[in-house]
Amino acid sequence: MGQAIHSNLRIADAQSAYVITLPTQLRQDAQALKLRFGFKTILDGSPEVSPGLCRLWYRAAAREQVAVKESSKGHVMTDFHPNALCFGDEFPAGGSPCLVHVEAQGFTIAFTVDGGQEQAEVVPFSRVTVSAGGLDHDQLVLQWAGPAGQRTLYLKNPEIIHAFRQAAPAHLNEPLERAAQQVRQVRKRHRMVWGLVGGSFLALVLGLWFGSDLLVELAVDRIPIEWEQKLGESAYRDFLAQHETVNDGPSVNAITEMAQRLARHVPNNPYTFEVTVVKSDVVNAFALPGGYIVVFTGLMKKATSSEEVAGVLAHELNHVLQRHGLERIVKQLGFVAVVSIVLGNSPGLGGVMKQLGVELMTLKFGRAQETEADLSGLQLLHRAKIDPNGMITFFERLAEKDGSRVEWLSTHPMSSARADRLKAQLAEMPRQDPEPFTFEWMKVQASLG
Amino acid sequence: MKSEILYPGAFPMVRVELAEGEHIKAESGAMVACSPTIDIESKMEGGFLGALSRKFLTGEKFFFQTLRASRGSGEALLAPTVPGEIVVLELDGVNEYMVQKDGFLAGADGITIDSQMQSMTRGLLGGEGFFILKMSGKGMLVLNSFGAIHKIELKPDQDYIVDNSHLVAWSATTTYNIEKATSGWVASFTSGEGFVCRFRGPGIVYIQSRNPRGFGAWVRQFIPISE
Repeated sequence: MGQAIHSNLRIADAQSAYVITLPTQLRQDAQALKLRFGFKTILDGSPEVSPGLCRLWYRAAAREQVAVKESSKGHVMTDFHPNALCFGDEFPAGGSPCLVHVEAQGFTIAFTVDGGQEQAEVVPFSRVTVSAGGLDHDQLVLQWAGPAGQRTLYLKNPEIIHAFRQAAPAHLNEPLERAAQQVRQVRKRHRMVWGLVGGSFLALVLGLWFGSDLLVELAVDRIPIEWEQKLGESAYRDFLAQHETVNDGPSVNAITEMAQRLARHVPNNPYTFEVTVVKSDVVNAFALPGGYIVVFTGLMKKATSSEEVAGVLAHELNHVLQRHGLERIVKQLGFVAVVSIVLGNSPGLGGVMKQLGVELMTLKFGRAQETEADLSGLQLLHRAKIDPNGMITFFERLAEKDGSRVEWLSTHPMSSARADRLKAQLAEMPRQDPEPFTFEWMKVQASLG
Repeated sequence: MKSEILYPGAFPMVRVELAEGEHIKAESGAMVACSPTIDIESKMEGGFLGALSRKFLTGEKFFFQTLRASRGSGEALLAPTVPGEIVVLELDGVNEYMVQKDGFLAGADGITIDSQMQSMTRGLLGGEGFFILKMSGKGMLVLNSFGAIHKIELKPDQDYIVDNSHLVAWSATTTYNIEKATSGWVASFTSGEGFVCRFRGPGIVYIQSRNPRGFGAWVRQFIPISE
């Protein structure tokens, strides 16, 4: 292989070797070919040839209809593997892919233009200015005035950038360093901003999680009672419009008496409670913001004494007094707002986070509120001289029976810890003799049918 | 692999001819029809975590379809969900495109799809979210838009301003900054533009002639509110 310099040109690198056999009429042109394609050496066993340049030579030779024989060592690489993008007036706007090879005094740049025509240009380092560019400022931009006008070259390949920096003469060191500095700065800023945002997001979430009660309380305190009442009232009327209510009779009288007695013992009560009995077998009772309380007949049927119903009422009344509903709304709205602001309205992560956040919030918030309402409900019963044991036993009894329609439990999950806490609280309170209600519970229940 | 755009305009389809053994990945649900020699596989590009991050971070689909001509050559017809033009780009291994999340329709196997994090301001104000798709590699890339696709060619250091919700794809050699549409804050929003992107060349920016968000808002007013 490669015996005669002028007839057989051997191009070799570590991976492959080519033998280019020049036809007779081109033998004299070997030197011209060298110049034309920026070949430095086309000598047998040329030592410093990159695979890229090797391919370029191969292509050039092929285009000149130079016979190319593959050596046993190599394989034919006909694909053009560009490693940079070059911009210039006659190139397409997206840039022309090109093959850049860095050499000692400059770099060779080869293009394929219009149907496989190749052009090569040798650019000495002295004509080049460098800067950083690209979408993330992570590309090396080389600019020079070529024979065909202004050229801009975008280098992204780390190897080429490295080779360029290695080979670049002293006068380019400063701008190169500046470009590298710029890239580092952009990266650093990116990292910093993201770290900062990530950190503050985390802090916000943690803050919301742990400090939310305080924040929510502050916010809720600023909402006037009238707003709360309007809010509750619309939900209340909506609900009643869809359900059959019990408008008079012993059950309404009994519930009203209980609610009034409890309300009388609330210090500085800003609410006027409105209680409605709804005809439904569902075992449920709930309170809406603003003092609207709904008791289902199902719950009344399940209770064996008036104290049990009074216990539930005391609990629900305290939800209103502590403004739990409002707290919940503020908290949910707040969390959703924060998530929306931070993540935008993206359907992916944002949606998931929102859902997750809201649900977690409700869960955690719910528990804390239930405990609060339990304890203050117990105290209220005590003040109103109603036997608080009714409350505890009723809760326990409801929990035991897994009645399919005991909805109250789904929002008020019963646990032995909850009952124990109530019992402990009760044990600490001074004993007192309960005052009975004016009605007989059996008769009230009988009236429900 | 050859491709042809059928019915160019608002309701186009792209026909991709696959030789035996070739395959193409497409957005989930993009396949309209295909030869019986083509197998449709569902694939999580970039592995489970990659797919998960793409789903959550860019809002793009979790699965891509892979259409593989495993039993002989054949063709497949692909179409996007929304009315709008299709454009076929040829990536050569050097040029890279950033694509907004709904812009990807299909890509040859040599195309690599990554979710890339944007800078803070671009993510917050650019309207594309914090993560966009980065297309690199070699081969055919099919993009779709809402409305017609317009190609803006930028010379080095040439500037151009684009409303952010009209972006489809842009080459990685361009840079852009988010700006207020007018000098004042109030006027920026009352002019209906809000934020715009100032692109700087060199490179290509593909924009769509309709704004999906604006269209959504316009349609919403005609949808009766259900009780």
